[in-house]
Amino acid sequence: MIVDIQGVVKRFGSVTAVSAVDLTVADGELFTLLGPSGCGKTTLLRLLAGFYQPDAGTIRFGDRVVNGLPPYERRIGMVFQNYALWPHMTVADNIGYGLRLRRLSAEQVAERLREGLRKVNLVGFEARYPGQLSGGQQQRVALARALVLNPDILLLDEPLSNLDAKIRIQVRAEIRRLQQQLRITTIYVTHDQEEALSLSDRVAVMRDGHVLQVGPPRELYERPRTRFVADFVGTNNLVSGEVQGAGAGGGGELLVRTALGSLRAIAAGAVTGRCVLAVRPENVAVGAAGADGGNQVAGRVSLVSYLGNTLRYDVETKPGLVLKADIRDPWHHEPLPVGRPVTLSFPPSVTLALSDDA
Amino acid sequence: MRSQGVGLAVGVGLIWAFLILFLVYPLGRIFYDAVTDEAGRWTLANFHTFFTDRFYLRSLWHSLILGVATVITSSVLGIAVAFLLVRYDFVGRNLFSFLTMIPIISPPLVGVLGFTFILGRAGTVNVLLMEAFDMLRPVNFLYGIHGVVLVETLHLFPMITLNVVDALGKVDPSLEEAAESVGARGWSKLWRVTLPLTTPGYVAGALLVFIWTFSDFATPLVLGVQDLLAPQAYLNIVQFVDRRIFRMGIVISALMVLLAILFLLAARHYVAIKDYSSLSYSRIARRRLSPGRQLLVVTFLSALLLLSFIPYIGVTLASVGKGWALTPLPVAYTLQYYERVIVETPKYVLNSFLYSGIAVVICILVGVPIAWLLGRSTVPGRGALDAVNTLILAVPGTAIGIAYIRAFHFDLPGFDRGLTSFWIIMPLVLAVRRLPYTVRGSFASLLLVHRSLEEAAASVGASVARTFRDVTLPLIWKGILVGSLFSFMTSLQEASAVLFLALGGWESITNGIFAFYIAGSANEAAALGVILILVAAISVAIINRMAGTRMGGVFG
Repeated sequence: MIVDIQGVVKRFGSVTAVSAVDLTVADGELFTLLGPSGCGKTTLLRLLAGFYQPDAGTIRFGDRVVNGLPPYERRIGMVFQNYALWPHMTVADNIGYGLRLRRLSAEQVAERLREGLRKVNLVGFEARYPGQLSGGQQQRVALARALVLNPDILLLDEPLSNLDAKIRIQVRAEIRRLQQQLRITTIYVTHDQEEALSLSDRVAVMRDGHVLQVGPPRELYERPRTRFVADFVGTNNLVSGEVQGAGAGGGGELLVRTALGSLRAIAAGAVTGRCVLAVRPENVAVGAAGADGGNQVAGRVSLVSYLGNTLRYDVETKPGLVLKADIRDPWHHEPLPVGRPVTLSFPPSVTLALSDDA
Repeated sequence: MRSQGVGLAVGVGLIWAFLILFLVYPLGRIFYDAVTDEAGRWTLANFHTFFTDRFYLRSLWHSLILGVATVITSSVLGIAVAFLLVRYDFVGRNLFSFLTMIPIISPPLVGVLGFTFILGRAGTVNVLLMEAFDMLRPVNFLYGIHGVVLVETLHLFPMITLNVVDALGKVDPSLEEAAESVGARGWSKLWRVTLPLTTPGYVAGALLVFIWTFSDFATPLVLGVQDLLAPQAYLNIVQFVDRRIFRMGIVISALMVLLAILFLLAARHYVAIKDYSSLSYSRIARRRLSPGRQLLVVTFLSALLLLSFIPYIGVTLASVGKGWALTPLPVAYTLQYYERVIVETPKYVLNSFLYSGIAVVICILVGVPIAWLLGRSTVPGRGALDAVNTLILAVPGTAIGIAYIRAFHFDLPGFDRGLTSFWIIMPLVLAVRRLPYTVRGSFASLLLVHRSLEEAAASVGASVARTFRDVTLPLIWKGILVGSLFSFMTSLQEASAVLFLALGGWESITNGIFAFYIAGSANEAAALGVILILVAAISVAIINRMAGTRMGGVFG
């Protein structure tokens, strides 16, 4: 089922939580709304669920306009951040409640209940109450409750934020597996960019009620279009600058004047005048580069953080301007002491010139 | 959606119609009476009369002093008991925790009667003292303002205890630990951190104590104190001779309502009365006291409880005692008084249960929807609904009784009598008086039900009504039940409002107690009192079991 959002606005008093959002989610897609708290992602999800009604704009599920419909007439399934399992009902009653509301026969209810329990690996837990389940199990009951109705759209509101790190990855994989298996159009809200990247077909990054960029995870990570997206998705070194002209490498390369000298960069779109350069720490090498050269910056190590799978150097290049550089194989690397002068180098192909939306 | 909107509008309309007809209109009526004369002309002469009459002014002054004095004494006892119960562990703590709630359920009139049996001029204590010390005159424990303060304090201090216990339970221990971490200890920590945090709960309790004392006319009258506002209002109304004095009774009750609203607003200004900001009760580590201190605490609590239980002892003895005059204890025992009030004239008990039962049903029908509107809906006028609900707690029962007499005296269409001549007026006035308990009980438990539980039901296809039935109601019925049981119990005990509305043949238990007492048959009054106390004790035991000691939320 295609979800089509056109010019949707939602205000709370003088605050505009969602302002003129246009989005189209393809059939069977897992689409994520990503952004910091207060960006309007949950409001947008609740507009889709029908808990809020938009002040302007149209929401379509397929060719059905759902504006004005209450949640119980939208054929959605929703998973809540706090699970929202009814504490006075057993697992079976929680999952079967929606089925019984649809006046299915007892056999049908039982059959679909069994099927739902099997889907989320909770066979045998029917008679338990939510209070007797672990967090991960509760989340799976919530998922089964939403899926057992064969909804047109599955809505997930930060479903993993209350789980431990290990369980989170496990349930994350489970959600993805089920979603692919059922090919159900799914809209997923999270503030965790790693979760968004690992799960989604496409991601919309939101800020202040606006959608800044929509794209597949790899595009968002490797080709952010604005400073905010570059900063919010993953870790980036950001350096403000001004476009001087074409770079030496040709092929649309730019030469940008920064506090660290003139640097060569590539641009995704048209960037002129004031801009910001973004370089991921994993693309910054510690030590002088070879013949090609690319960009080179001198500085002193100010902090060494050992993270297990990486080792991160904070290098102060100018007073107050720190660049991060990752060593991706710390097993075979002897850490440099703090204060040691180093040269950082990064090729123009990973140096992105972005419009500055700060 | 549209039909639901219409249903909602009709429901809200019905609730307001009820509140306006049975609360706003009657109160408006006594204010109208207070500023008009017999011919219906607008005048301030009534207030002029009040404020130039030395006796009335003295009554006002004494009423205020009585209220303040009772608040002070109840606070000292109530706060001390609350701290002991919450913060320390000692032998019998749980038992004391239950027993300290008991005095509050003593029915208004019965309490003071019980005191007179034990501490009165010819009461047990004086008889013993006079025999032991050859005294010629009894000690005056009770008759006078000091006696009213004593009786009201021993009756009402649990109101403070309950509210402070509740507030203390909500104080996050880390706040006190933070105070300790910066060096605050002992009294400094108590004074600067702990007490301010419990202020909202305390003020709510203190306000109720003040208004209760301020509007109680039965206790002062039994103790021979007449120069107070409430007894004056009562005496002026029940004499049906002088129209002018009758009107002054109305003026006094209007004044009492005004003052009560004023105190309510003042308290509200100082702290938000309705403080549900934190609903999570923290686990409290109780300090185990040394044996010596335990002895001290247990002695203090036992002495306090012994005093508070005087009325129960007195009333119980009087209900089974024969020939109890000028002797420390009755000379013979009998069940004849119970026979008279239960078998011979069962109407008091039957009527009371009927009225309170109907009142609770009305409370639930009106109160639960109000709680839902306050907690879940966005309909306009919720602020006003909340204000009216809080106002009911503050309006003196005396004033409501008088207001009903004035407001519903006119002949009903199709009848040659007014509503005041039908017994249904009794459950109605009880329902209005006790509505806040049901609303608060339901509202508090509604707040504990996370909204996403209801949204989840909507997301799987349940309508609003269906969601309420299948999800909300099963999660809040305990709160509704606790609030309703409390409404029921206090309805049975209501004296001030129903004493004005008593109908021949349709009297309630409290009417009966008053009638027997005035007719000089204190034993029958006592027997009825014991019945009330028993019902109340059972109710409290059930409430206590279901809600723990967290009745503060209902009272506050």
